[in-house]
Amino acid sequence: MALTFQQFLFYAFAAVLVGAALGVITARNPVHSVLYLVLAFFTSAALWLLMEAEFLALTLVLVYVGAVMVLFLFVVMMLDIDLAALRAGFTRYLPLGLVVAALIVWEMASVLGPARFGPGRVAAPAPHGAGYSNTKALGETLYTQHLYAFEVAALILLVAIVAAIALTLRRRPDTRRQDPARQVRVRRRDRVRLVRMAPERRPAPAASEPGGRTGTEEA
Amino acid sequence: MVPLSHYLILSAVLFCIAVAGVFLNRKNVIVLLMAIELMLLAVNTNFVAFSRYLGDTTGQVFVFFVLTVAAAEAAIGLAILVVLFRNRRSINVDDLDRMKG
Amino acid sequence: MLSTLSDLTLMAPELWLAAMACVVLVADVYAGGGRGTVAYLLAQLALLGGMWLLLADAVPAPEALFGGAFLRDPLADVLKAAVLVLTVAVFAYARGYLQGRGLDRGEYYVLGLFGVLGMMVLISAGNLLTLYLGLELLALSLYAMVALHRDSLEASEAAMKYFVLGALASGMMLYGISLLYGVTGSLALDVVARAAAADASDPVMLLALAFVIVGVAFKLGAVPFHMWIPDVYHGAPAAVALYVGAAPKIAGFALAMRLLVEGLGGLQAEWADMLVVLAVLSIAIGNVVAIAQTNIKRMLGYSTISHIGFLLLGLIAGTRDGYGAAMFYALTYALMAAGAFGVVAIMSRRSEAELLDDYRGLNARNPWLAFMMLILMFSMAGVPPTVGFYAKLTVLKAVIDVGALWLAVVAVAFSIVGAFYYLRVVKLMYFDEPPEEAAVRAGLQAGTVLSANGLAVLGLGLLPGALLALCLQVVG
Repeated sequence: MALTFQQFLFYAFAAVLVGAALGVITARNPVHSVLYLVLAFFTSAALWLLMEAEFLALTLVLVYVGAVMVLFLFVVMMLDIDLAALRAGFTRYLPLGLVVAALIVWEMASVLGPARFGPGRVAAPAPHGAGYSNTKALGETLYTQHLYAFEVAALILLVAIVAAIALTLRRRPDTRRQDPARQVRVRRRDRVRLVRMAPERRPAPAASEPGGRTGTEEA
Repeated sequence: MVPLSHYLILSAVLFCIAVAGVFLNRKNVIVLLMAIELMLLAVNTNFVAFSRYLGDTTGQVFVFFVLTVAAAEAAIGLAILVVLFRNRRSINVDDLDRMKG
Repeated sequence: MLSTLSDLTLMAPELWLAAMACVVLVADVYAGGGRGTVAYLLAQLALLGGMWLLLADAVPAPEALFGGAFLRDPLADVLKAAVLVLTVAVFAYARGYLQGRGLDRGEYYVLGLFGVLGMMVLISAGNLLTLYLGLELLALSLYAMVALHRDSLEASEAAMKYFVLGALASGMMLYGISLLYGVTGSLALDVVARAAAADASDPVMLLALAFVIVGVAFKLGAVPFHMWIPDVYHGAPAAVALYVGAAPKIAGFALAMRLLVEGLGGLQAEWADMLVVLAVLSIAIGNVVAIAQTNIKRMLGYSTISHIGFLLLGLIAGTRDGYGAAMFYALTYALMAAGAFGVVAIMSRRSEAELLDDYRGLNARNPWLAFMMLILMFSMAGVPPTVGFYAKLTVLKAVIDVGALWLAVVAVAFSIVGAFYYLRVVKLMYFDEPPEEAAVRAGLQAGTVLSANGLAVLGLGLLPGALLALCLQVVG
């Protein structure tokens, strides 16, 4: 059976995705893991495009690869991880674990396989026309039917902000920082003092240095 | 056209790799967090596939929310990781052994 | 869909709490000097106001908003009222502890309020999406609260374990939800319920069920998904363990009720079989391992696991009586747990009093506190006339009514084993010499709330009829 172009793309991306996923969990260096995960997200976005979920595919790249993965990378690099200790070997349970995982995959595949969800059972949907906008279709349900969920999601993001700041923000006594409130509140008399002085005669060139200093400090 | 079962099996494979990653990894907490992201990716692929073949956008809306929650979750998880690292200078899974019983 | 703006009064308590949580957040920043005080008072105001809005407008029959995404029925009203009351008590107990340990920051109350909001969203969920979002709002608040004591190694370790296992369980549950969506074509719980009833033997449905059960069991803390409970209770500061141990159990019950009973009621026979294993293991392991503990917070953790086993028995019965009994168990257990952790929080104000030895001779140091702890321990052990006895009795009766006598026998046998470690606490308090003579002061506020809490445990045991009738009425 000849592969159609779509099927070719599916198998190609699926193979890359599985390889990248295995890379995430087996790579010894966490930076490599993050990069494999980025690859997995990119490949998934391509698969989602094949399923005509354009908005989500782009969101996955922009939000996930652009923000969340960068956060991961940032943390991996910020924590000074002892790579030598991590190199000490994967685990002695690896062979057993792989066998169990393969069995579970096989069982799940037998339930979810072609007998239940194959081409004969679930009709392939017709491709959308050129005028169809996935973003518009999503937006129309998101802001009507799912308005409540949308608001709850906003609260979840607020909790994430509060939690992340509460857990990691440290005020060190030795850091020098600007306090805008104090800067705005400041009055002229706090900073400038006008001193009435008797006019000074220019001293002789030999004693000029120390006298000049005192004058500027007082002003 | 690629049948639905292909997508479902692909995401089942991805899901199992992620779960295996959580259980087999004894070294590095940050890889656990990544395995969990991978797991959510498998779930999302499931939702997108079902949504496409059912001709119903609700599944895609769910993915939208899973992405939102997962981003919030990653932020909190990494914050906890930073706190843990500051306290014990290690993110080795085997070192998480202060409490026993 | 919203027809008119006045429909929003149905969700007035949630709107009020969300607004107040933001007010607390901002007020805490500007309050500066008094640190926790402003946040504490505003948080209590938020909870009491939410309570008032809820009770002023209690619904006689189910009503739905947003196309069924938000469900307000008598079951939701009762569970939400219980969550609010318990959280008022929890904040009152926590206050003195937080002040004494230098943790008195507004974030505890802000995250606590968001957690309450998450529980309320979960309790009112009418579809799988809002169910998931409510669960995550609660869980994310809890992860952060556990890690709130940033300099404590135990707390950060407990938070990390809780986070990884919790996110794993959420992922499993989401996978199940995605399969449910694929099979039924809808996220609405009533549509899912119809599909489940129509085709109960669909293997995909059963696969989905297995994943969903993992999520529910984890959130409740049933064996073998219990590993987080002892570590979180042990590692978290007492004020946070107190919060985690009380109201979220009611939310866990609501999750099981909405997802398993209302959504997958057609598969009751299948999920009851899975829950039997979890329930027996929970009762056995919880009670036996608790005996070996020397840390009271860890002991209460294993005790929670065994109580969750009892709660599951009510669901396994699968009858209206069973669900009512499970609800009664959830409400009264949360009350007992709040009291017991309240005592721990009061004892731990100056330094962490988490070893059982710290409770030696408590009777000599504060007789009333010891007496309250005595009532709570008797109730957890199931000694009459406390409410714990009655709660166990109704659950066992429901199980025996459906012919599962052996389950009841196993449960009783292990709870007799379990009575040992509760009574050991009583023995330490009354018959051992105190390690120090200094009196323990509860303070007016925490003392009053604890007295009300302990006496409620006793009073509900003497007169359980009204609450039980209410539970039976709202689950039906």
